[in-house]
Amino acid sequence: MFSMQLFKRGMIKAVLHMLILTYLMYLLFPLLWMISTSFKPTPEIYSGIPTLIPEVFTLDHYVSVLKEERLLKSILNSLYVGVITSVIVVLISLPAAYALSRYKTSINKAVMGWILTTQIFPAILIMIPLYMILRSLQLTDTLAGLVLVYVVWDIPFVLWMLQGYVKEIPVELEEAAAIDGATQSQIIYKIIMPLLLPAIGASVMFAFITAWNEFFFALVLLKSPDLSTLPVELARFTGIEGQARTGPLAAASFMATIPSIILFAVLRKWFASGTLQGAVKG
Amino acid sequence: MKRLFSHIMYYKGFYLAGVLALLVISFYVAGELSMRHAELSEQTGPLKFLSLAWQVEAVEAVQEITNEWNRQHPDQSVEFIQGSWNAIHDYLITGFETGDIPDIFHYESAIVVDFALRGYLADLAPYISDEMRNDILEVDWASVTRSTGEVVGIPFINESFLVLYNQELLEAAGISTPSFEEPWTWDDLSEAAGKLTLDKNGDGITDQWGIGMGMRRSANFIMNHSIAFGGSFFYENEAGQLETRVLEPERELLGRISDMLYVDKTMSPSSVGKSGAEMIPGFLSGQYAMLAGIGTWARQQVAENASEDFRWSVMPPVKAKTQAMGLNTQTLSVPKSCTRQALAMEFIEFLLSSENMTRLAASDWMMPTRKSSLKDPRFQDDASGWKMVTQSAQYLSAGPWVGLPGYIEWKSRVANPILQEYFAGRISLDEAAERIERESNSVLARYQVRGLKW
Repeated sequence: MFSMQLFKRGMIKAVLHMLILTYLMYLLFPLLWMISTSFKPTPEIYSGIPTLIPEVFTLDHYVSVLKEERLLKSILNSLYVGVITSVIVVLISLPAAYALSRYKTSINKAVMGWILTTQIFPAILIMIPLYMILRSLQLTDTLAGLVLVYVVWDIPFVLWMLQGYVKEIPVELEEAAAIDGATQSQIIYKIIMPLLLPAIGASVMFAFITAWNEFFFALVLLKSPDLSTLPVELARFTGIEGQARTGPLAAASFMATIPSIILFAVLRKWFASGTLQGAVKG
Repeated sequence: MKRLFSHIMYYKGFYLAGVLALLVISFYVAGELSMRHAELSEQTGPLKFLSLAWQVEAVEAVQEITNEWNRQHPDQSVEFIQGSWNAIHDYLITGFETGDIPDIFHYESAIVVDFALRGYLADLAPYISDEMRNDILEVDWASVTRSTGEVVGIPFINESFLVLYNQELLEAAGISTPSFEEPWTWDDLSEAAGKLTLDKNGDGITDQWGIGMGMRRSANFIMNHSIAFGGSFFYENEAGQLETRVLEPERELLGRISDMLYVDKTMSPSSVGKSGAEMIPGFLSGQYAMLAGIGTWARQQVAENASEDFRWSVMPPVKAKTQAMGLNTQTLSVPKSCTRQALAMEFIEFLLSSENMTRLAASDWMMPTRKSSLKDPRFQDDASGWKMVTQSAQYLSAGPWVGLPGYIEWKSRVANPILQEYFAGRISLDEAAERIERESNSVLARYQVRGLKW
């Protein structure tokens, strides 16, 4: 009887693991295919025979991509925009999220409602007025202007996400610190901040990846070729009627995913560090 | 210090208002200065030229010609901007609406016509030299010239549809290939497709299809080929306005393709969901013996990506009642807001001189629009189907839909989705025809109400 139960549990676990593995493969397959394509010679890409492991391994596409100065410049531009955006977004959203979740005022609901409302508008709808405003501030065709747009675009979601995390932190922790003589800023920086590290990590990731991948604002706002960001440069590998320089595009796209992977690896530690378990005794 | 602080606190409302007012004023002044700076640089800075060349050789060609212009005209330089086919429409629309638009831009006639109807484009007719006017094919001028004589773009490369074929597979099936003098009819094409459709290992599954055709967005192909059947989808009604009709000629073309898919089963079913570019690997691997409905550009993909022993060629346009074929032309236009239209046109004349146009067209693997360029030995060579493509230029024709207000919306919202449903076998020919007519005319009516006229 006991061993039957163990067997059943084992089976359920195995099925669950299989399902998770299948899901992971489903998520990973496009990435694997892109990596595989980037190492195939062009005739093999066009051979019509799908193979995950290249028959002939080549670095030609990477060499051709690395020869394109504009692409390298666009990677630096994207890095600059992504890093600055994520720092500013977190710096603004963190205190705002704390205030929204801890200080109950009559405008809280209105603010949160407005945050949700801003998420409804598609970029194309606001592009023209936004462009006019930025132009009057001399911010079109500047990376600063693009950062400003991304900050404004990202803050609502990050704020929403962070205030949810802040709400999860028991007020009793702050009260205990206050009884021990901690000032308000000490409470925020020494008690709340460490507990919010996973949320801050997620916010940085979100803001960075949004800025890193964003295409339309960058396309319209940046006119000078020297300022263009990576997604805009990648789009230039494709032509009319679905044509593309597939090999170089795959190589450049793979290179484009590397910073996100590195960022995730760096922030992974944070995701696991902010546990609240046992913080307050019931 | 304490007194100052309490003073500020007492009058905080006034100070706040003052700071706000200062902010508003500085924004306004910054805005005005920025506008004036922008206006000044529009009149004195380099002309901005947005090109959609994207293949390495084509980009190099455009850049080198632009650099040559800059060497010859140091005081009237041109800045080359490389655009993207994927996002050009939104980019230009935003540019027209905000007034921040390149002085010269590259696009295609069907859409440029739509921009002209909205009043965005400059009339280039007064600036075009006689040499250029006489050298570019009449049919190309027809695709960009309004009834008032306004010219809204300079056509410089032509796109038309081809049938590519795998020589080895046709020879193996004992099929003699058509020549320019003796082209195939649609019956010949269907018959050959039947002979070329093979289940090589006898497992009941077709290994080699007679024909493949990327039909994910088939409206362009269908429209341009309907002319050869004597149709055109658009007919003038009693009120003198164009309306959509799916008559016998259009039905014949649609029915023939559908039959190859579902009755003869000689066309690969994967055609339905793929673009032309996505069909090329199947052609190279011998899955399709013939690749129809694909642009002249496809030859480059085939020539550069095929294995050395892959032998292929180009057929002349397939004959229905005639071999006439609608065309789509790539153009250079100048926005109405450009303050240096004459200079912009001077640059276009330089960029599209006979010699330069030959180079641009060859690097993009498309047909030049100048008669003198078409005579260049590069376009008379049999290799990679150039000669056949050049000879086929005589069959190009501007369809009645050129300049039709609402055509772009019609194509994307009505024709493409309905044709996709039809070719996927989800609706009958009668249903497709009825829906195309009904939905088309409601789209066109909206534009006709606005009184737009080409």
